[in-house]
Amino acid sequence: MGFIMDGLDAEDYDRQYSDRALVRRIAKYFRPQARNMIIVGVMILLNSLVNTGIPIFISRSLDRLQEKTSTSQLATITIVIITLGALAWVFNAVRRWLSSRAVGDMVLALREDAFDSVVRRDLSFYDSFPSGKIVSRVTSDTQAFSDVVNLTMNLISEVLLVVLLVGYLFSVSVRLTLITLTLAPFIVVVALGFRTVARKTVTQSRRILATVNTHIQESVSGISVAKTFRQEHAIYDEFLDVNRQSYRINLRTGYVFNSIFPLLNLIAGFGTAAIVYYGGDTVREGALSAGEWFLFIQGLQMFWFPLTSIASFWSQFQIGLAAGERIFALIDAESKVVQTGSDQLRLIMGDIVFDHVDFSYKEGESVLEDFSLSIPTGETLALVGHTGSGKSSIARLVARFYEFQGGQITIDGHDIRSLDLEHYRSHLGIVSQVPFLFDGTVMDNIRYGSPDATNDDIISVANQIGDGDWLYSLPDGLQTEVGERGGGLSMGQRQLVALARVMLQNPSIFILDEATANVDPLTETLIQEGLDVVMKRRTSIIIAHRLSTIKNADRIIVLREGTIIEEGSHDSLLAQGGHYADLYNTYFRHQSLEYIEEARRIATLA
Amino acid sequence: MTAQPAAKSEFTVKDTYQYNYRTTSWWIISHIWRYKWLAISAILFSAIDFLMYSQGPVQVGRAADVIMNDPGSDKLLAITLTVMGVLTLSSIAFWSGGLLAETLAQHMEADARHELYASLLGKSQTFHNRQRVGDIMARATDDVRQLNAMLSPGLRFIYETVMGIVVPLLYIALVRVDLLLVPTVFVLVYIVVVRDYTRRLNPVTRRQREQYGVMNAGLEEVISGIEIVKASVQEPYERSRFHRNARLFRDHFVHQGRLEAMYLPLLLFAVTFGLTFLHCMILYDRGSVSIAEIIAVMGLMNVLRFPVFISIFSFSLVQLGIASADRLLNIIQAETDLDENAGGFSQSIEGNITFDNISFSYNKNGDAPVLSDISFHINAGQTVAIVGQTGSGKSTLTHLINRVYDATAGRILIDGVDVREWDLTQLRSQISTIEQDVFLFSRTVAENIAFGAPGTPQDQIEHAAREAQAHDFILTFEDGYDTKIGERGVTLSGGQRQRLALARAFLSNPCILILDDSTSAIDSATEDDIQKAIQRAQQGRTTLLITHRLSQIRWADVILVLDQGHLVAAGSHDDLLRTSPHYRRIFSRYDVDLPPLETEPPQANLQTA
Repeated sequence: MGFIMDGLDAEDYDRQYSDRALVRRIAKYFRPQARNMIIVGVMILLNSLVNTGIPIFISRSLDRLQEKTSTSQLATITIVIITLGALAWVFNAVRRWLSSRAVGDMVLALREDAFDSVVRRDLSFYDSFPSGKIVSRVTSDTQAFSDVVNLTMNLISEVLLVVLLVGYLFSVSVRLTLITLTLAPFIVVVALGFRTVARKTVTQSRRILATVNTHIQESVSGISVAKTFRQEHAIYDEFLDVNRQSYRINLRTGYVFNSIFPLLNLIAGFGTAAIVYYGGDTVREGALSAGEWFLFIQGLQMFWFPLTSIASFWSQFQIGLAAGERIFALIDAESKVVQTGSDQLRLIMGDIVFDHVDFSYKEGESVLEDFSLSIPTGETLALVGHTGSGKSSIARLVARFYEFQGGQITIDGHDIRSLDLEHYRSHLGIVSQVPFLFDGTVMDNIRYGSPDATNDDIISVANQIGDGDWLYSLPDGLQTEVGERGGGLSMGQRQLVALARVMLQNPSIFILDEATANVDPLTETLIQEGLDVVMKRRTSIIIAHRLSTIKNADRIIVLREGTIIEEGSHDSLLAQGGHYADLYNTYFRHQSLEYIEEARRIATLA
Repeated sequence: MTAQPAAKSEFTVKDTYQYNYRTTSWWIISHIWRYKWLAISAILFSAIDFLMYSQGPVQVGRAADVIMNDPGSDKLLAITLTVMGVLTLSSIAFWSGGLLAETLAQHMEADARHELYASLLGKSQTFHNRQRVGDIMARATDDVRQLNAMLSPGLRFIYETVMGIVVPLLYIALVRVDLLLVPTVFVLVYIVVVRDYTRRLNPVTRRQREQYGVMNAGLEEVISGIEIVKASVQEPYERSRFHRNARLFRDHFVHQGRLEAMYLPLLLFAVTFGLTFLHCMILYDRGSVSIAEIIAVMGLMNVLRFPVFISIFSFSLVQLGIASADRLLNIIQAETDLDENAGGFSQSIEGNITFDNISFSYNKNGDAPVLSDISFHINAGQTVAIVGQTGSGKSTLTHLINRVYDATAGRILIDGVDVREWDLTQLRSQISTIEQDVFLFSRTVAENIAFGAPGTPQDQIEHAAREAQAHDFILTFEDGYDTKIGERGVTLSGGQRQRLALARAFLSNPCILILDDSTSAIDSATEDDIQKAIQRAQQGRTTLLITHRLSQIRWADVILVLDQGHLVAAGSHDDLLRTSPHYRRIFSRYDVDLPPLETEPPQANLQTA
């Protein structure tokens, strides 16, 4: 259909790279394809030559027919026409085949580079980019960028065709060529005008589509509420409204799209009429043959369609370049976590020291300042404090997910920066607040961190948690499919899987960001039993939200605004009546047995 | 026989247009037939379009004749005006036909979506729980748009192709019938070649699209789970997985590119063009046609070019459209298990609930039972807590009471009457359910509270909110009760959503309240509020609680302990501490002095309460 219809719904994006820098980056991905691209270029040239040649040859043959022709001449003419047509087909086929290979390889290289650079980034990168954006840059932007290549090749081929054709026509009749060319501005104006109007209506259509989607999504998600209250009629009436509006807007968009080709046809029709008349006059004057006159009529048909494509090239080229830029911006971003060495400690004991550490996520918003803490091997340490007190930051720095700005962190006396990151992390076990599971079975997920583990290893680990009772709540036991992001399992079950995963890894250091979500009491009991096993005999750092975990910890660190203000055991801290006692009354009191026993009385207080 | 979309429905709209559900094609045809005049005139205009458009080359041929054989004639101007006239008429007909077809297509989209939506409202909750929201969304948006595209440009291209082939060939035949020889052979060969081409191309296109989905999904998963990927040092594994996916996609892409490059019909047309020209030359040589006629014929051959090539899209568009229609009809015609039972038993509920040997399975044949042989009785006004691991059947049990599902075996009695005999509206309007994920509509807080009773005065809404301990946090919003949920960063915690739902329930004042409570209070003050709200809700009605709150469980009148669909214990807190090992395990974490475990005769105990 040509690309007058393409790229109408692209979103705006401000360019940031200079043209030169961008071209240099693009060139790098083209270089391996240089040979193919040169062949493609040659094919485009040949194809344009042949395509211009066919109508020219036919017009000449028509003129020659009027003289006298032999059978062999007829055969020659036919063979030439068919050969030209066949050659055009071959050139086009080679061009498309080779360019699809070149584009396919280039997009692949771009995607691989984009993905590799994404997984190399530290977590600060993921904080600043929503995951949907990263995904669309790696997959759809690369695709959009490849359109630039196709677009450019089409443009070259169409410009060549128009130039060759017009050039030849000039040599035949300047007057008729000028008449033909007067159509060009009309066609360009109509094409550009169409794109402006179409862009607007397409945007409106996209918006109304989103509205319709939202409405239906909400109705379907909330259908049980609507049914319980028997309010189906109310939402039905709203739907009718939205649906009618969508019909009106889409109809307008459809009308715009259906108007462009009739309009262009009309312009071409006037052009044809003009050539018929003035060309006819010229033939009569003897300045033109009948065949040449017919060539002009055919030429007009070949001429206007490429023109619409050429007119709409620039805006789409910009869209493609913007997509390219987004990908390069992704590839070029720097990771902030930098390792200075690659020491592989033979055995990690889990002795962690924070030595005057300064840390902030964003410049100027200090989270930890001159922070010192020593965690001896095997200790279970609970971190408590309000949101933003720095609990999670401590755990993240130990995991080396973020870079700190001052001081030193040592693991068994070695600077954390001097360690081989992969080797070090393989001795960490982390359970996050909302445990992430990958699509697959429970068994796959437990095995995730230890690909070499046997099925027996996994079964034995799973049975260490709560005597394996939790497996009975899974429909297919270890073979249960967890669904997308573990959605098929309850929160509590996901935590149990994550615990089993860590146990299988047998890490030296265990980091737990305790869930705040409520879990049914039976599963909660199983999780607690599992935690007892995991925390035994390894350094454990717990960002605590559960009273029972705090009570079991060897030491509680009380944090406020990045500073340790109290530390000790639960009973001693509570007795002090300081910040911990405040925190207890704010966050933990309602988890105590006393509260449970008192609940009836509290609830009936006015 | 004209089948109904679904025989049973929980929701019906009056005065709807009746479509034909005999087969998918009939259904599509009946949709088009609703606008038959649009369809007929669209085709008519398309005929006019090609009749006029093909007059272009014919007139050019006449002009050539005049130019070459009739010098000095003033016919040229007349012919020129004719050319201008027919091409203008053709453009107008083309345009009008396009707009008519477009109108029809947009009607089809809107009507089909409407039909789907109304049928969705009529389906039972069983149906909705089975369907994923994403699937239904795909039907309501993509499939419905595919129907639109099937009509315009799909079907439209097909009749235009027919016109665009028949009309020029007709005109060629008018010049000389035997000139039809080559083009006709071409059309026949073309049909065979294109069918073969699409047969080879379609699977490759499909595989490519699927592989794109696989690549995307894999990538999304890695990005979302990046913390685990990094913590488990699985970057190399994920990298090779992505590279493999991306390479597979590239292979399909290149394969498709190669197939498309070898698009034979283009070559075929080139040959046809040459042979037709040869045929013309031979006839000219014999003196049967003139140069002017050759010019007309070759011009008509050019008209043939376009319709022949658009048909390739149209067949797959129609195929896709029919597949979409199938999927839509699957939903529209899906039988729903429950119906309104209008005119059934109707009375105000006191709140006595009896489960009599209830079993339930999501499969019709009773396989994989979720609940097995459950019996208990609840007196009006009691509070019942249901305890069990995920998957033990707690939610399902409560869903049987207001007939979200019907039990596979056994009976449920409310005030001694089987729930299946109750009028559905009567039954449901007196039972309030607050689900785990409280759903709020994108409306104001006040409208959400008064959802079941539109038009409730503001002071009653506020009263309900106070009862539910929601008034205070609602006032912290800038617009108070007029705050729109989900806009400008208004996000509510689970506990807040739950209290809004409780306020909603207070307004509708149900006799039975089912509360699936999985919220967690971050702090003790909020916990106090939630305790008060739930306590308030229990008063004067039968309440079933699925809760994680030990405080609620501990003080319930009756506690039901479920394990893998079996009722393993029932009784009060003190009873169960003595008799149920399951229940004792929960409390064993707390430094509580457990009474000695009594070996209980299990069945006898279940009949208590």
